[in-house]
Amino acid sequence: MNSLILLLILVFGGALFSYLLNKFLPILRDGFVVLLMLLVNYVFFTMDSSTQIDFEMGGIHLQWAFTSAAFLFGIIVSILGLLSIIYSTAYMKGKDRLGYFYMNFLFSIGSMLGILMSRDLISLFFFWEIMTWSSYFIVIYSGKDVDKRGLKYIVFSAIGAYSMLMAIVIIYGFTGSFLLTDIFDSIFAIKASYQLAIAILLMIGFGVKSALMPLHVWAPGAYSGSPMSFTALFSGALSKMGVFGFALVLFNLVSNQNWLVNEVIAWLAAITAVLATFYAVIQSDAKKLLAYSSIAQLGYIVIGLASGTYLGVMAGLFLAVLHAVFKGTLFMAVGAVERQAGTTDMTKVSGLIRKMPWTFTASLISIIALAGIPPLGGFVGKWMLYEALITSDHYYLVIMVFLSSTAAFLYSYRILFGLFLGQEEPEFAHVKEAPLPMLIPMLLLSGISVLSGTFPGFILEPIQDAMVVFGFDSRIPNIEWWQLTVLFNSWGDKVVLQNVMIAIMGVFLIALAFITIKGYRKQRYVTTKDISSSGEIIQPEDNMTFQIDFYKPFERAIWPLLKRRIDDYYTDLGNGLEALFDLVRRIYNGNGQFYAIYVMAFLALLLIAGTKYFGF
Amino acid sequence: MNTILFQLFGALATILLAFTVGMFYGGIRRKIIARIQNRVGPPIYQNFLDVIKLYSKETSIHHGAMQHMGPVFAITASITSLMFVPVLNGEGWFWFKNLNFSGDLIFLVYMMVFGSLGMALGAGQTGNPNSAIGVTRGLSQMVGYEIPFVMSMVALMAQFHTTSITGLMNIQVQENTWLMFSNPFAFIAAVLAMLGMFHYSPFDIVHAPAEVASGPVSEFGGKYLGLMMSSGSIFAFVKLTLFVNIFMGGAANLIELVIKTFALYLIPVLYGVTSPRYRTEQAITYFWKWPLFFGVIAILWASF
Repeated sequence: MNSLILLLILVFGGALFSYLLNKFLPILRDGFVVLLMLLVNYVFFTMDSSTQIDFEMGGIHLQWAFTSAAFLFGIIVSILGLLSIIYSTAYMKGKDRLGYFYMNFLFSIGSMLGILMSRDLISLFFFWEIMTWSSYFIVIYSGKDVDKRGLKYIVFSAIGAYSMLMAIVIIYGFTGSFLLTDIFDSIFAIKASYQLAIAILLMIGFGVKSALMPLHVWAPGAYSGSPMSFTALFSGALSKMGVFGFALVLFNLVSNQNWLVNEVIAWLAAITAVLATFYAVIQSDAKKLLAYSSIAQLGYIVIGLASGTYLGVMAGLFLAVLHAVFKGTLFMAVGAVERQAGTTDMTKVSGLIRKMPWTFTASLISIIALAGIPPLGGFVGKWMLYEALITSDHYYLVIMVFLSSTAAFLYSYRILFGLFLGQEEPEFAHVKEAPLPMLIPMLLLSGISVLSGTFPGFILEPIQDAMVVFGFDSRIPNIEWWQLTVLFNSWGDKVVLQNVMIAIMGVFLIALAFITIKGYRKQRYVTTKDISSSGEIIQPEDNMTFQIDFYKPFERAIWPLLKRRIDDYYTDLGNGLEALFDLVRRIYNGNGQFYAIYVMAFLALLLIAGTKYFGF
Repeated sequence: MNTILFQLFGALATILLAFTVGMFYGGIRRKIIARIQNRVGPPIYQNFLDVIKLYSKETSIHHGAMQHMGPVFAITASITSLMFVPVLNGEGWFWFKNLNFSGDLIFLVYMMVFGSLGMALGAGQTGNPNSAIGVTRGLSQMVGYEIPFVMSMVALMAQFHTTSITGLMNIQVQENTWLMFSNPFAFIAAVLAMLGMFHYSPFDIVHAPAEVASGPVSEFGGKYLGLMMSSGSIFAFVKLTLFVNIFMGGAANLIELVIKTFALYLIPVLYGVTSPRYRTEQAITYFWKWPLFFGVIAILWASF
């Protein structure tokens, strides 16, 4: 059987089967979904890259195949899908409606693979809608604030879907084909203004999923409201579908001369990155913080793509993969804290490091990768992004990215301190380390973060293949990318990653040995209540926790930016529309006699206008 | 094998140099402050005595693994960034070659943050609220001064089409000029940012003794404090040498290096003794006024 069809049958059939299994034999459910995802990964990675399907449905030519770009994003989907399913088996234990949950979970994995393999706009739109609906069902799974979070998500997804549909119709009207290959060939023949309209409409569609400002308002609620095992996939892989779409539009549907589009998108993304980071800094809930941070990170990715240079696009795609890795881990870690300690509110929970050391280790590594500190993978992506922007003369854009990533240190520290460090509270003394099925995915993913900092080649290799699809030739021939440990920019400046790793690890280990050998045996552990306090003795009941208004001074410094939120503008728009509809209701008041008057008035108007302008 | 030994030896020599110079500068600073306040002040080798005393002390408590590793992170960052900053000009003295050609400015900017974040984690595990307050202040202030600093760096990179420190130094040698004259606005922005980088008064909000009881450091004594003091002096040397390399044409020999770095070091010290401490939000927004303005001008200057 064709492996593409096999893949879809496996995931979608497995989704329905897991629902039934949960009804009749719930004991086999967890094992089944994990096995299923293992099988999906096996089929995906052993697939022949030239596999293709062509078929007609209702007179429309449809085509499915994995291009190398789609394959890159497919790697994220399938691996993160597998790991988050493994994580789910422990995380969701004891919750109800698990059949519903796993069915929609697998549906969204399947629809993502479907989106990636679509080579025509009809099946793209079809799978896109399945993805929206299945993720919507998980967003409202918990049943809390459904009218607020769920409505925002579905309304914005609908806006995106409608503008996509409109773009598809316009494209079909001009080119007479739904096939992407045909469209890419003939798109530049149509008028520039229509090209722009198509690009804007499609970008609204994809921008909703990749949470680009001003279309991001659904993201904080939807990310923080779904079960964390799904949010790992939601933020890690599902939002990347928007990025994938962006790449298609930017490189295949907009002519290269149209730098204005690139600049506007890049600046929008930069503003997204900065503002979302500021919002992340002032959050006190770990889930919300990560949600805003995801928005900011997607901003970097889009900046990289929109910069349009070889290194920039590479940086964008690298960050896309890496973001899936570290943000997946972080959402899982926060989920572990939520499950073990009962809350992710950082003003309540604190000091879990000694109770959950492995969760802490995984989140520490991911935070270092997120902040872009050498020698981990995040630094490689950040470095490429900066160098790409500087060498292509985007100086002020660099400053925006720098502002955003420096402010990101604030929330990076906040989440580690808020959950794991700080005072150990007696009410969390009972907390135990998360179960193994939750730890293993986290630790595996953080292993990737570490490895990609010294050997980014194993991620850069598929990225380089993918870039051929976006119209970039491979510029550095005769290099085994797996061995690549030196990063170059186009001015010839470099970073030797191996030297960095050796220097940091060497100094770190020597200093650690030095400080540990000197009298560590005689040192004893003291609690966090045993601290210097100007002579007063701190009693166990004294509250020494510092968690509320953590970054108040920073908030005061940036308050002009935070004064008015984009949500308010949408609320204003909503109120304005409501007033407008109210006016309409007054006209269409359901009274037949009024309608008769309207008809009369219209006729009278016609008569007057007719005699005056048309002469009858 | 020989080359590795050679490199290790060179690294050790560089570390010793940085440590000695940084320590003496700290001592001189204490002396200057004392003289301005009409005190006698400690001898300028006082810092050495302090470090020796701290190392020889016995530390009897710890708050956990992260706290134990905090000072280690700090010194790792200091020494690693030292390895990537060229000490002397051109081929220089082969002793100090280290890893100068393995990293560039962007890398260094990130490497310099590594230590404060690691230190912040260590301070966090102690559970002392003063430490956490100090850390939040420090990180907030970092967002302030990094922006003009990076702006001036970007201006230089844009003007000379290189992102490597050695590249910038070679340009100064070839054109026989200092970059502080080629792009004066970048220099002004960078020096103003340096005031914040050194955490001296009026930007000493992190350690503010009267407010947060020396902040992040408050739970670290003995060997931990000793390691942190060493790290601090090495880091001061790194910052000063970087500025000299970039803006003042580097140095051909050690004496020139000492003179130039000391002249530069006097700016934050003298500005500090004569100014009282800012509040945190003032310390942040300070950098978003004139320094930011000069940064913008510097980039414009570089691109036209």
